Amino acid sequence: MRHDELYYEERNPSPLTQAWLDFKVQPLARAALYMLCFLLFISLFGPWLAPFGANEQFADALFLPPAWSNDGDLRFLLGTDTLGRDMISRILHGARYSFGLPLLIVCITGAIGITIGAMVAMSVGVASMSFQHILSALLSIPSLLLALIIIAVIGPGLFNAALAISLIFIPQFILVTRDVVLEELSKDYVVASRLNGVTSTYLFFSVILPNIVKPLVTQFSLALSAAILDIAALGFLGLGAQAPVPEWGAMLAVSLEYAYNTPWVMALPGLALFLTLGSVNIVGERLRATLRARMEH
Amino acid sequence: MISIVLRQLGVFLITFFILSVLAFSLAYLFPGDPISNTSGVLMNHPHYEAVAQARGFDQGLLGQYLAYMQHLFQLNWGVSLQDGASIWHEFKVRFPASLELSVLAMGLALLIGPPLGILAAIHYNKPIDQVISFLSISGYSIPVFWFAQLSILFFAVLLGWLPIAGQVNPLFDVPLATGSVLLDIAISDMPYRGTALLNALQHMLLPVVILATVPLVLLIRLTRNACIEVQRMSFVQGAYARGLSSFSVLQKHIIPNAMQRVTPSVSTAFSLLMTNTLIIEIIFSWPGLGQWFVRSIYERDYPVIQTALLLLTVLILFVNMMTNIYYVWRYPRVRRELNATR
Repeated sequence: MRHDELYYEERNPSPLTQAWLDFKVQPLARAALYMLCFLLFISLFGPWLAPFGANEQFADALFLPPAWSNDGDLRFLLGTDTLGRDMISRILHGARYSFGLPLLIVCITGAIGITIGAMVAMSVGVASMSFQHILSALLSIPSLLLALIIIAVIGPGLFNAALAISLIFIPQFILVTRDVVLEELSKDYVVASRLNGVTSTYLFFSVILPNIVKPLVTQFSLALSAAILDIAALGFLGLGAQAPVPEWGAMLAVSLEYAYNTPWVMALPGLALFLTLGSVNIVGERLRATLRARMEH
Repeated sequence: MISIVLRQLGVFLITFFILSVLAFSLAYLFPGDPISNTSGVLMNHPHYEAVAQARGFDQGLLGQYLAYMQHLFQLNWGVSLQDGASIWHEFKVRFPASLELSVLAMGLALLIGPPLGILAAIHYNKPIDQVISFLSISGYSIPVFWFAQLSILFFAVLLGWLPIAGQVNPLFDVPLATGSVLLDIAISDMPYRGTALLNALQHMLLPVVILATVPLVLLIRLTRNACIEVQRMSFVQGAYARGLSSFSVLQKHIIPNAMQRVTPSVSTAFSLLMTNTLIIEIIFSWPGLGQWFVRSIYERDYPVIQTALLLLTVLILFVNMMTNIYYVWRYPRVRRELNATR
C-alpha cells in the first residue's frame, strides 16, 4: 500500500452535488431539468411575457395558422384559435393552471401528509396492520376516479378539481411516510441513537429524515405527474377548468370540434402537456436513480 | 394458502362495505331529495310513496342502508333521472362493451410489454435499450386524450385507413344482445357476418391500441428494471459460472425471478387502464361504462353516478384482489413470507 494513501478518505459528494453531477452527464435529463425551470418561470411570469391577454379576441384573425405557413401572420407566432385568440398567449397563461397549480397542490399536500404521517408513525408506534391493508386497498383506486367521485358531489370547476386532487394526495403521502418511518424505526442505527438519548424531534429530523428522502422524492415526483395529468384530464372532460380559462386540458377539449380544420389548435396545448409530463417523469426517474445509487454506495 | 385467500377476501369485503356506505351516503350528499337521488323516482311520481317505503325511508339510517344493500343485491338499482331507463338494463349492455375493450387492451399490453422489457434489459445501455426506454418514457408521459386525438387525426382523417368513432358501421344493424359487439355479431344470424366482424375489428383497433399504451409502457419499465436488478444477483452469476448458456440462464433464472417482481403491479396497470377507459370511451363514442359514468356527471344523473361509481371501484378492487391471490399462489416464497414460516 502506498504511504500517502494511509489517510485516504472516500469523498462522498452531498446529495445535491451528486444529483447535479449526474444530471450533467445525461443530456436528456439536463434538458428536462432546464425545461422544468423554464416552466416554473413561465407559470410565475407568463402573463407578463405573453404578447396578448388570454381571452383577447382579434376578429380579423380567426383560424390563423402558425406564422411560418403561407397564410400566417407574424403578429401571431403560433396562430390563433377559432375565436381569434393568440395561441402563444393562451399557452403562456395556461402554464399557471396546468403546471403551477399541480405543483402547488403537491407541495401543500406533501407538507401536510408528511407531517401527519411522521407524527402518526413516531407517536403511536405500530398501528393495526389490517387498517393499513384496507387503506392501501382503497388507495389502489386510481386518483382520477376518486377525483371524479368528489367532483360528482361538490360539482365541477377548477377550484373543486384542485380540492378533490388535494384530498386524494394527502392520505397517499401519509401512508407512504408512515410506512417508511416505521420501517426505519426498527433499524439498528435508529435504536442506537435512541440509546444515546436523543429527543424524538432530533431523531426524526436528523436521524431518520435523511434516510427516507428517496421514497419521499419518489412519491413527490409520481404525485406531481399524476396531478398534472389529472387536472388536465378533468379539464378535458369538462369537469375541471371551464371553457374560457386557458388550462391546457380544457383547451384540448374545445379544440376537439375543430381539430380537423385547425390541427395546430389541438397540437399545441397537447404538446405543452406532453413536454411538461415528460420532463417531470425524466427528472423524477433520474433523481430516483441517483438516490438509489447513493444508498447502495 | 387458504388463510391468505380468506384474508384477501376479508379486506375485499371490508373495502366493499366502506364503498357501499359511501355510495349510500352519496344520496344524502347530492343536492336534492335523497329518495329521488337513490331510486331515480321523482317526487310527483305516483309510485313515489311505495318506493320510499321499499327503500326504508320511514326507518332510521341503518334501515335505509340495509334496504339499499337489499336493492343492490336484487339488481334493483333504480332508474335514470334523465330518461327513466332501468340502470341494471343499461349496465347489462354497457359492461360487456367496456370489458371487451379493456380485456383486449390488457391482453395486448401483457403480450408485448414484458418481452420488450426483457429485450431492453438484455441489451442494457445499448442502442436497443435506449430506444425502448425512450419510447416507454414518452408513452408514459403522453396524455392519453391528446394521443387519441392525434391518432384519429392521422390514421382516420388524413390517411382514412380506420373509422373515426363508434363500435361498428350502423348500416350493419347489429342486434343488441350482450353489448359486446364481437359477440353480438358472432351469435347473430345476420347476412354478411364476416364483413361486419371485420368492420367491428377495424373500429376497435384504434381505441384498443391507445388504451394498451399506458399499461404497456408501465410493464416495459417494470420488467426492464426488475430484470436488471435480478441480473446483478449472485445466483445469476452462479448459473453462468456453472456453464449454462446465456439463453438458459435467461429462461430459467432471470425471467421467473423478474416476473415475481412485476406480477403485483399488473393490478396497478389495470386500474390505470380503467381510468383511461373513461376518457377513451368519450372520445371514440364507445357505448361503455366510462362514457355512461362521465355523461351522468354532466347530466347530474345521481342514481347513475351512485351505481356506476360503486361498480367501477368494486371492479378495480376485485382485479386487485385476484392479482394478489394469483401472486401468492404462483410464488411460494411470497406465501412463506406472508405466513412468516420459513
